[in-house]
Amino acid sequence: MRFVPILFVAALMPLGAQEVKMPAGLEKLAAKADETVDVNVDASLLKLAGKFLSGKSEDETARKILEGLQSITVRSYEFSQEGQYDSRDLDEIRAQVKAPQWSRIVGVRSKRDRENVDVYFKDGGNGNLGGIVVICEEPTELTIVSVVGTIDPSQLASLSGQFGIPRFDFEIGNTGWRRDEK
Amino acid sequence: MKTRFAALFLAAAGAAFSAQNEFDRVVSAVEQHYGVKRTYIPLMGMANFIVKVAHPAGTSGFKIAVFEDLPDVGDQTDLDRLMDRICAGHLHPMIVTRERHGDSTYILTGESGKSTRIFIATFEPHEATVIEATVNFDTLLKMIGSPGNAHRMFQADRDDDNGGR
Repeated sequence: MRFVPILFVAALMPLGAQEVKMPAGLEKLAAKADETVDVNVDASLLKLAGKFLSGKSEDETARKILEGLQSITVRSYEFSQEGQYDSRDLDEIRAQVKAPQWSRIVGVRSKRDRENVDVYFKDGGNGNLGGIVVICEEPTELTIVSVVGTIDPSQLASLSGQFGIPRFDFEIGNTGWRRDEK
Repeated sequence: MKTRFAALFLAAAGAAFSAQNEFDRVVSAVEQHYGVKRTYIPLMGMANFIVKVAHPAGTSGFKIAVFEDLPDVGDQTDLDRLMDRICAGHLHPMIVTRERHGDSTYILTGESGKSTRIFIATFEPHEATVIEATVNFDTLLKMIGSPGNAHRMFQADRDDDNGGR
């Protein structure tokens, strides 16, 4: 019986290790921002959401996605003018998504739109993803998304535009990644 | 059999009492923090009834409390602390939106059987509104999908309840 707490802690350890923590420094940005949006959807809410889905095929896909997820966190900041945040404000979060566990799958640098988008995937084993982090930097907007849980790459597109995650389509073409923002 | 019925009745009554308490607890916390009382809205019972059967879609069990003439609610840290206290162990802060010179909205969730109870606390510089509602999954998804507009889903109803205040 005394092994139960040990097993419990051991079971929680990989979950804790998977989570990408939003740096405390982001609070400073919230003070400068004109508008901020925080979304925190935890495992209990995701589980509850799964209960509501009917037996339709599209709901079945959504249910499968929800089953594997542990949390979705979004931090979004809108500033009235440029220069209110610095790329260095994101150093702490970038430090958490380093190889070998994490890979930067998409890196978009748009000089025209002055937009930078980075998408990091975590290897969850068995061909699944263990987590996703998206960082979108625009001159007056900053959005950080962290999705924790087991995600089938083929179901990835279904998460786009859902649960506060920005709608981004990523495609692999002959010339590499192409992104269409909707 | 009688015992089973009695147990079921007590469990149902307990759940209803607990839900009632949660709303009162949130309202009371705001009242104590700002030293104000919620505003009496004439015919509130009727407003509740209309809201319950009509708007917004996917919502039921609607309760509302309005606070007027609050001292300045501009201090975001103070507001965050108040909401942390309100949430502690009871509710989960699902969506938080802040406008530097405008509204701050906290959408809190709590499980209620097979549905989700949500509390929407909107703070303007000198006014606040607390709404409790039970929402279905579609409504919940809409709120999460468009967090910036989530509280506005209830705005029209709140204004109607206050005579377009």
